[in-house]
Amino acid sequence: MSEPAMSEANVITARGVTKRFGGLVALDGVDLDVPRGIVQAIIGPNGSGKTTLLNALSGAAPADLGSIRIEGQEIVRLKPHRIARLGLARTFQTIRLFGDLSVLENVMVAAACNKPSSLFGIIAARPSQQHSETEIEQRAREALEITGLAARAEHRATQLPYAQQRLLEIARALASKPKVLLLDEPAAGMNMTESMTLLATIAKLKTLGITILLVEHNVRLVMGISDRIAVLDFGRKIAEGAPAEVQRNPLVIEAYLGRRHRHA
Amino acid sequence: MNTRIALTLVVLLVLAIPLLTQDGYFLQLFNIAILNAIVVLGLNFSTGWTGQINFGQAAFYGLGAYTTAIALKAGLPFIATPPLAAIIVIAASLALGVPTLRLRTYYLAMTTIGFGEIIRLVIVHWEPVTGGTSGLRAIPGISLFGFALEGQVQHFYLLAAGLGVAVLVAARIRQSSLGRAMIATRNSEIAAEQSGVDTVRTKLAAFMIGAVYAGLAGCLYASSIRFISPDSFSGTQAILLMTMLIIGGMGSIPGCLIGAVALTLLPEALRFLGQWYLVLYGLGVIAVIIGAPGGLASLAQLRFRQVSRR
Repeated sequence: MSEPAMSEANVITARGVTKRFGGLVALDGVDLDVPRGIVQAIIGPNGSGKTTLLNALSGAAPADLGSIRIEGQEIVRLKPHRIARLGLARTFQTIRLFGDLSVLENVMVAAACNKPSSLFGIIAARPSQQHSETEIEQRAREALEITGLAARAEHRATQLPYAQQRLLEIARALASKPKVLLLDEPAAGMNMTESMTLLATIAKLKTLGITILLVEHNVRLVMGISDRIAVLDFGRKIAEGAPAEVQRNPLVIEAYLGRRHRHA
Repeated sequence: MNTRIALTLVVLLVLAIPLLTQDGYFLQLFNIAILNAIVVLGLNFSTGWTGQINFGQAAFYGLGAYTTAIALKAGLPFIATPPLAAIIVIAASLALGVPTLRLRTYYLAMTTIGFGEIIRLVIVHWEPVTGGTSGLRAIPGISLFGFALEGQVQHFYLLAAGLGVAVLVAARIRQSSLGRAMIATRNSEIAAEQSGVDTVRTKLAAFMIGAVYAGLAGCLYASSIRFISPDSFSGTQAILLMTMLIIGGMGSIPGCLIGAVALTLLPEALRFLGQWYLVLYGLGVIAVIIGAPGGLASLAQLRFRQVSRR
């Protein structure tokens, strides 16, 4: 059943991802292929399993069954930090910044992702340690530059206004140099102007060649920016395709608007 | 720049203490304050930065002190005791930390309380080796490269140098990816993991480094004070160390020093109050927690910021 040629083209290959919470089947055998370099959206009504899928992919709440591969490597049994080091970064629906660290340091935490340091090196302030520290800082500053937060580097993370805290989450995820970036409702709580800035940032990330998996409740926001859209409803994938296709799909309309169309 | 000047002033002030007082009692008190500061700096790794509640710090302190005292009494040279004390506390901290730090929340607090009690019971009951409740006396003193330390002043400078190294190491760790990973782990374990931080390993590293601080402070305690008894490393001491950290300022290196020095010197300064001291102590702790939740260090920082803004 394996398709080596396919999995090369896909950054994420998920098969039969299933997650139960007691009697509730939150995800019911979801398959998902995310080709390299695209913006893939996952939409669906409230409680359809979007965030559960994202948590399964990132290892925050591992899947009960199924297989998830990042560039061919199975990650279902791995701890979240191992998955992060393999190139999957994410943001959170409810902001989770490191409140006691500066904006720059928040990003530096993730920039150190694949840069091991030894305790001895740190204590002795060895040149190799200082070199790697400079690299980490540089990488973090680049991520802040991309998200437009460079001027805020020395602020405390929690001093930023809400919309910038969301951008900081993206900067932090970006700094680990991910192959795929998972954004969990990045526009939640943003006004129109802020959402526009966000969309511009996502477009910029795409030009940098980063694959993006976007979970969004706001369908309108997703339509313009996404190359492909997968639709979840009650833990199942009910549709997938280009935005225009998905928009016309009767199953999708039914999931969002109810069964009015049945009567017609 | 301002912090550099402040730092220089503090260092000079500390180094001048033996010039201001030759009183053996006061110097002994300062020596104990320095040792407590090292132990609290160690506690700051696990509790202040990584957010793991650790009541085992007094036990590691005692483990280091008793290991050193027994080794010195058995005739080992002083130079061999710091590594020995470090190895013993590293082994103990791994034995405690590996099973418990995988679990979240308060398991470490419970385990370390139990560990502290076990250490105390062993010390009290293993009389032939530990001297029981009356402790160990006449421990051979510090002697380095054929030079034996004499008098409180020499000990003061050695301990101050030890504290200097302890502060330097803590500051370097804080400015490294390990230090940032510790604070990230405290602020959001999930976000830290998803940023590539191995939170279990980070918690273990913080716990272990903190234990080494306590073990080495214990080694210096036994060899400079030259008398140890179980009281100095009891559960009460563990709570006192935690109070020093909270009053001084969780997560702040100057806070650790301020808290340790203040709560070592105050009881002696307020001794004339007799039993009323405890009332005042309790009220003082409550006042600091309400008035300055970030500890005394946060007050100083606030003042400093206001001054520099003018």
